[in-house]
Amino acid sequence: MNNTPLPDYIIERLPEIWQRIGEHIFLTGISTLTAVLVGIPLSILAFYRPGLRGPLLGTVSILQTIPSLAMLVILLALFQKIGVIPAIVALILYALLPIVRNTLAALQGIAPEIIEAAQGIGMTEWQKMRLIRIPLGIPVIMAGIRTASVAGVGIATLAAFIGAGGLGEFINRGLALSNTRLIFLGAIPAALLALLVDFVLGYIEKVCDPKRNRHRSHRFHIGMKLSIALAPLFLLIPVFISFFPWSSQTTGSSEKNETKSINIVRIASKNFTEQIILAEMMAQMIEKKTQLSVERKFNLGGTIICHQALKRGEIDLYAEYTGTGLMAILKLPAINNPDEVYQRVSEEYRNRFNLIWLQPFGFNNTYTITVRKQDALRNQWEFISDLIPMSSKLVAGFSGEFQERPDGYPGFQEVYGFKFSKVHDLDPGLIYQALAKGSVDVIDGYLTDGRIPAYNLVSLKDDKKFFPPYHAAPVVREETLNAYPDLRMALAPLGSLIDNTTMRILNYEVNENKRDIPELVKEFLKNKGTL
Amino acid sequence: MIALDQISKSYDGVSRIIDNLSLEVLEGEILMVLGSSGCGKSTVLKMINRLIEPTEGRIFLDGKDIQHQDPIALRRSIGYVTQGIGLFPHLSIRENVSMVPRLLGWPEARINNRCRDLLELVHLSPEIHADRFPDELSGGQQQRVAVARALAADPAYLLMDEPFGALDAITRDSLQQEFLDLKQQLNKTIIFVTHDIVEAVTLGDRIAILHEGRLEQIGTSAEILENPATEFVQNLFAKSVKYWKDFKTIL
Ligand SMILES: Nc1ncnc2c1ncn2[C@@H]1O[C@H](COP(=O)(O)OP(=O)(O)O)[C@@H](O)[C@H]1O
Ligand SMILES: [Mg+2]
Repeated sequence: MNNTPLPDYIIERLPEIWQRIGEHIFLTGISTLTAVLVGIPLSILAFYRPGLRGPLLGTVSILQTIPSLAMLVILLALFQKIGVIPAIVALILYALLPIVRNTLAALQGIAPEIIEAAQGIGMTEWQKMRLIRIPLGIPVIMAGIRTASVAGVGIATLAAFIGAGGLGEFINRGLALSNTRLIFLGAIPAALLALLVDFVLGYIEKVCDPKRNRHRSHRFHIGMKLSIALAPLFLLIPVFISFFPWSSQTTGSSEKNETKSINIVRIASKNFTEQIILAEMMAQMIEKKTQLSVERKFNLGGTIICHQALKRGEIDLYAEYTGTGLMAILKLPAINNPDEVYQRVSEEYRNRFNLIWLQPFGFNNTYTITVRKQDALRNQWEFISDLIPMSSKLVAGFSGEFQERPDGYPGFQEVYGFKFSKVHDLDPGLIYQALAKGSVDVIDGYLTDGRIPAYNLVSLKDDKKFFPPYHAAPVVREETLNAYPDLRMALAPLGSLIDNTTMRILNYEVNENKRDIPELVKEFLKNKGTL
Repeated sequence: MIALDQISKSYDGVSRIIDNLSLEVLEGEILMVLGSSGCGKSTVLKMINRLIEPTEGRIFLDGKDIQHQDPIALRRSIGYVTQGIGLFPHLSIRENVSMVPRLLGWPEARINNRCRDLLELVHLSPEIHADRFPDELSGGQQQRVAVARALAADPAYLLMDEPFGALDAITRDSLQQEFLDLKQQLNKTIIFVTHDIVEAVTLGDRIAILHEGRLEQIGTSAEILENPATEFVQNLFAKSVKYWKDFKTIL
């Protein structure tokens, strides 16, 4: 709730903050360590084979330029798996550039007369490397490791996008719920962690500087070598934190194990408010009506990620929309009749993926043309076709996706036979505000979006039945349904429980009034008499 | 004995850095290789320990063609003082001096004793200097360490590339004096590269004068002074002799 005082807000979430910090350190640490173990030998190899230097540096540089989200999606496709593994691989790939670049620079940067002396007294190539190049290059190599680690802390915030945990979890959730506090709850510890890592590694760099320690005792040097060798053990700290009682989570989201555990149902959601509300609703029903426990894997990066995870059995169910299933997943042409769409996706999902569509929640979250209420009243707009006389004066603000999809603006122009005078490309998150403020006159709005009532907007009726239906329903693995027959019963009361207005209000409560989702859902289910 | 037999070196296949050079270094002598900067002195030294391979010609060490020897073993058996001091900056004086014995796998005790002896030999104190690092010593002291390091495994041959070239005149004088003493004690075959005529005359048993990669003359200083083989040699010494005369008149 937005009126909780800040200290309480933080204290309430302290266990999860600890857990996320632990996960964050683990993600960054293990990937930087691996990048060191891979990058340094690669650099040494490339040092001896100058032909490899260009390709190696080129490759790690190109890897660096891939946007982080794109990288995650690519790896997801490659590994066919959500969670820690693709996240760590992405972080390793990013960490390689500073490590390889600095190691190569360090090895090449030794003064030629020193190398000549080493060679002249009869050192082999390997002895020159081990006794001269590496020890003299240590400060530069360490600086590379430090750069990689600090950058890694930042990039690791994106790991939550694919369900790998870490502080990005808060940021993601905050973004999905447009909740600034949550965003800061992830962003501030992440920034502090980056500073801390920078400081600690900077300190180690200094402590390890051979020049500083030249006159220390032999035992000091042995001790230091030992502690460097044991340093990776610090990765156990987060593991320790995660297993400690203070971080035991009711949500069970600390559960890392992705293999199927007995009597646990894993529920996922995409990364926007409505999805999280629906997922929480299903979770509470299952917890109440069955003996099963629920693992919440909310806020995954999107449709494809949820669908892949469901197919592979990394999750057991999530809420999907019939239109999305039909067109985005099955790649079938649009169908206008809602029942027909539902029939079609149910059949195809069962046949192709062994996934079962349960009864829809009731509302239809399609997108449609949305305008300001005052304009609608003044011009007596009720249907989309009512816009035709004025269309040449209206400025539209559409999301990039709407402008591209055949069931978006391109198809719209064909079916309705008109265009708007101008179309601005707007971020989906800003579209409603832009309309409310008068920057544009029409937008593509989601029917259940809480901001439609909040900003005094109205959606026009789709008189030509162009926009396909998007009814939400639980999609469950057949295997899970067979294993836990109670599940179907537990979710049955959710069927046709929520109409468009209700869903709008629920979304509004979360986005605008910053209501706590579990609390809101509990209250709602109680009022409806289903809990 | 070191013998160079018609050695040539070219990097581009056209111009010769070293042009058809033949010379012999006799057992136990110091041969000074004298020449101006860029004439190929360092190149000659580096061909002897195979840091550089000649384009043509052969080099013999004790009658054996070095081309057929393992370069690593060869280098460990030849002491080498590089141009510029070339001490390892991250290693203590002790570690610098013991490097070759360590590479050769000597037992620890022997290495320690040897290190002590060597530091004393070059007039450094094992107690004071052994645990210092190169940048904690003066230029002259560093140069002594470089000599000690080259002598560590008691090699029969010593290659010294302008070892005193970067020192101030006073330090250089005293090091040259010490070097002469050292030479008496050691009885090694030494090739000593310099661009300084006075140094060549003071330290060398014989002098080889190099000019643009060619050997102008080789002989004792007396032989060369009496009988300069080329105009270049004549001019070179005439200038110095005149300089010394002037110096004496001023005094
Ligand atoms: N790797 C190289 N490639 C081409 N020319 C070189 C190379 N090394 C040295 N030289 C040239 O060889 C000549 C002799 O060099 P050097 O033996 O170092 O002279 P010095 O008598 O000053 O020791 C110089 O003109 C130098 O420019
Ligand atoms: Mg030289």
